[in-house]
Order: sequence, then C-alpha cells, then structure tokens
Amino acid sequence: MLTIALPKGALLKDSIRLLKSIGLDFSGFLEPANRQLQVFDATGTAKAFLVRTQDVPVYVEYGQAQLGVVGYDVLREKQPQVAQLMDLRFGRCRLSVAVKQSSSYRSALELPAHSRVASKFTYCAHAYFRDLDLPVEIIPLYGSVELGPITGMSAAIVDLVSTGQTLRENGLVELDVLFESTARLIAHPLSYRLDSYRLHHWVEQLRSATVTT
Amino acid sequence: MIYQPPSGARDLLPLDVAQKCWIEQRLQQVFNCWSYQRIITPTLERLDTLMAGGAIQPETVIQLRDAEEAILGLRPELTASIARAAVTRMAGVTYPQRLYYNANIFRQTQDSYSSQQEFFQAGVELLGCSGLLADAEILLLLADCLDSLGLQRWHLILGEAELTRSLLADFPLPLREQVRHSIAQLDRVALEALSLSPQLQQRALFLLDLRGKPGDVLQRVGGLDLAPAQRLVLNNLKSLVEVLGERFSLTLDLSLIQTFDYYTGLVFEAVIDTESGVQVLGKGGRYDQLLSLYHPQGQLVPGIGFALNIEDLHQVLLPTAQLPQQTPASDWLVVPEDEQAISAAFTYAQHLRAEAKRVEIDLVPRTTESIWEYARQHRIPQIAWVSADGSPRIIAPPA
Repeated sequence: MLTIALPKGALLKDSIRLLKSIGLDFSGFLEPANRQLQVFDATGTAKAFLVRTQDVPVYVEYGQAQLGVVGYDVLREKQPQVAQLMDLRFGRCRLSVAVKQSSSYRSALELPAHSRVASKFTYCAHAYFRDLDLPVEIIPLYGSVELGPITGMSAAIVDLVSTGQTLRENGLVELDVLFESTARLIAHPLSYRLDSYRLHHWVEQLRSATVTT
Repeated sequence: MIYQPPSGARDLLPLDVAQKCWIEQRLQQVFNCWSYQRIITPTLERLDTLMAGGAIQPETVIQLRDAEEAILGLRPELTASIARAAVTRMAGVTYPQRLYYNANIFRQTQDSYSSQQEFFQAGVELLGCSGLLADAEILLLLADCLDSLGLQRWHLILGEAELTRSLLADFPLPLREQVRHSIAQLDRVALEALSLSPQLQQRALFLLDLRGKPGDVLQRVGGLDLAPAQRLVLNNLKSLVEVLGERFSLTLDLSLIQTFDYYTGLVFEAVIDTESGVQVLGKGGRYDQLLSLYHPQGQLVPGIGFALNIEDLHQVLLPTAQLPQQTPASDWLVVPEDEQAISAAFTYAQHLRAEAKRVEIDLVPRTTESIWEYARQHRIPQIAWVSADGSPRIIAPPA
C-alpha cells in the first residue's frame, strides 16, 4: 500500500490539506485527541504515518514510506538519499545567523575566529562557516537555541527564522541567511524508478493540485 | 577483559555459513554452466588501483600502509582488481575472458554507528567483447543466477549510460554537470531551479522521467532529433530488449546514471519487492574504458559485469524457508567399547567415511543412555559400538 511519512508540527496541517485535495484523507491526525501513529485513508489506497520531521527522510530513504513531506532545512542538514520531487511552497522559513541586538556584529564574517555558535543545525552551520573560512566552535543544542547568546554561552546562533518574532522577543537580531526553506515532497528513489503503487500518478496529481492552489 | 570484534565486523556461525554456502554454491553452479572461470585477487590493493576508475572515493576505503609507506586499501569491490590482473598478469590471453569471483569486500562508513564494514559478493566480468551478444549474455546470466535461487518477483532496471550522456551533451558545459547530478539523484526541485532556456528545461525534465515499459521508452527516445551515433545505440538497445523478450520483468530507465564517468554502456540494477520494501540485490554495467587505465600501453579492452550482494540475497531468502534451517547432522556416531577399541573405532569410522558419510567419534566415556541422548539431540540416526577386534554393533538410538 502507498505509504506516506508526514511530519509532526508546523508542516502537518498544510500537508494534510494538500493530500486531501487529491483524495487522500489523513485528517484523523489533526484531531486533538489523536494518539495514532498510523492512519489509513478511507478509500484504502494509502496510509500515512506521523513521525518527527527529522525522521521523515529516514523512513523514505529506507523505503518504508514511498513518499514524505519534509522541510528543505532537514534535507540540507541530514543529506539523505531521497528524490526531491516538488517544492510544496508552504512552511516558508530561512536558516539564519543571529546575534544579540546589543552586539556590534552586523555580519557573520565579523565574528571573531573561534567564537562559539550554538545550533540545532550543526552540519549546515559547520559547512557555512567552513565556506566562509572562519573557524568557529559549533555547540549542538536541541531546543531554545536563543538562550545561547542570552546566557553568554555562545556569540551567535544558527537557527530557523520564519517571522523573526522569537528573535526580537529575546533581544536577538538576524544577520546572514544561509538558505531559504520550504516544504518538499520527497520519494524513495527505487520505488519512484519502479513506479511502485502508481507513485508517478500520485506525484502528478499533487503537482497539478499545487499549481492550481 | 572481554575481547569484542571491531564495530561493524561480524562472525558467521556454522548455520550462517551453511546458508551462505547454499546461496554461493547455486550461483557458482550457474557461473560454471556459462563457462566462467573463478579468479581470486588480493584483499589488499594499492589505493590508487582501487580509485583509478573514478567510482571510488578514498574516504569509503579502509586504508592501511605497507612497509614502504605506500597507501593500501581493503577492496571495496572486485572489478578494479580483476581489470588490473587481466591486463597486466594475463597479457597474451585470447578474448573473451569469462571470469567469476566470490569474495569479501570492505566499506568504510563515516556517519552511522557500527554499520557493517565487511560484505560478500559474487559476480562476473566478461572481458574483451562489446556488442549485443555480450550484453545479452550478461543479463541472461544474471537472470539465471536469480532464478537458481528460486527468487520470484525480481525485476531489472536497465539504463544506457552512453545514450544518456550523449543526450546530456545538449546542455551548455557549466550547467551540464549539475543537470547530470540532479538527474542521477532524481532531484527535480534542483533541476527546475537551474537557469536553463525553456527548451532545455523541458529536455531536462524529459530525461528525469525517461523510464517505464521498454517499448514506450524506446519510442519516446526515438521521437527525439538524434545523431546517427545515438540512433545506433538506440537500435542496439532495441535489439537487446527484443532478445531478452519476456524472460524477466524489465524497466528501461535512461535516468539511471552515475554522477561520475565509469559505465560506458548498459547500466543495471536487479531489485526485488519484499515486505519491508524494494531492495537492490545486485548491480552492474559496461565499462569499456576501465581496462585501458590499467593496461601498460593503454590498450582499450571492453568489459561488462555484475556483482550480487550475498547478504541482501540472504536477507531476502531467509523468510522463504529455502535456506538450510539446521547445520547438517552426522550420519554416524562411532563409539569405542573400551580403551583397547580406540584404534579399531578410528579404522571403522574411516571405512564409513569412504562411503561419503559424515562420521563423528564419541570422545567422552559415558553411559549408553547418555550416548543415546547425545545422538537424539544431534539428530544422528545410527550408532556403531566398535570392540577391540573391530566388529561393530550397530544400533539406532531409541526414539
């Protein structure tokens, strides 16, 4: 059966709306009391499972799900071997370098060598500063990265920014943008090549649904 | 102190070995039937030998140094070694050379913890011939291998690296590598983001999804404005598809390319649909440039081959209960009646072995009941008590 990996959190609602528009209804995941990890659509054509956004490309890479919806930021960070089929154009945000409002830095390049940079996106942060030829110490954090500069643990952070409100409320300012991110439709490459479960058909349906909305 | 194997290494216990041999023996029988000769090349090669073809990155090779500080690597595949051996050590042989191997390979994996490092592969290389016949032989031999294992629902994905490369030649040079990379990775989003003319954009997306039933794909490619050389490759591919007929389930996929120039013609993957998803069983292709890299005079020698992954075959076969579920039991247990009978017992056991029986000597003095118990546990159907004069008393253990 066609299996789709869906991300918990910010991208879930739009993902479910998009799939519903092509006749695959997984809105069971949106019910407040939902604790199910797996939902079948009413027509018996497909099932979806709900996983953490970082785990979506894992299930798709190993072929347990043939399709998945995930932010481009996760794909850049994890570098999974998956086929990127479509920019779904929702979940827009950017990965940026931010520092304390009160600091004098107005660009990442002004950071002193060997500064500490806190981030959930250690791979992206490392690659970015390596390309700037600026040696920094990357400190991995798993949440509330803004506390890094506030507590003085790090000079800067690399984190996702959508409206910028969280940064402002915490007295931080955005400097450079590493890249823009949106939600992507990804597929298991081998299943896509074999057109398992009429994958191509479903992808084309999603493509025309995205164009018309 | 507990001695553990290095992470990523594994022990194969007798039952694992029995199952692995079951697979390997069937494959070797097929290789022999197609008149392929076994070749054994060294586990260690110079790193530059392993990397010469351009398909191997140094960080994926487990490296060592020899006494002269030369960098060596544990082979990550066999084709480089066989190519080297064929053109340097087998100079003057007549072609075609049909070679097969059954060997371990090693891969260094950076990012995941304790993932496997040693694997086993069985495969063939057909050297010195290009063209329809050689291509068809390799694909039909692959089919025979998978059929000999009783695998059902396996499927071949077939590409043509030369044809795809020539179709990519329409793209301007700075962008061509990115187009190729995006197609190889099936990255449609990156392809759409490249600054290409609408016409080239359309061509790129056409190539990305150029796969399906062989007849349809051949027709779609045939509709392009092709040069005579491209037409020739396409016609060869058409003839090959006709020769293969309905022998196995086939997808023609002209987006099946590598990001590096290694394959120069056919490129293929044998896959199977299992309950836990689609899985690759083996891969291969034509490499007409590779041997010249090792040849002292740079002489061109065409080649084509494939490798099957024994672990993947094992994993797919395990639930089908075709593999041996137990190690083979002894046919006989030979028990010396007393110390004076030891020599006679060995003689009698040897006499049974001459009839190609599996015979074990009972090594521990013990009661008749415990001997019966032992024989029952080890599924030994017959026990021979041998006395000093050499006469056996033959008894089947009571059920």
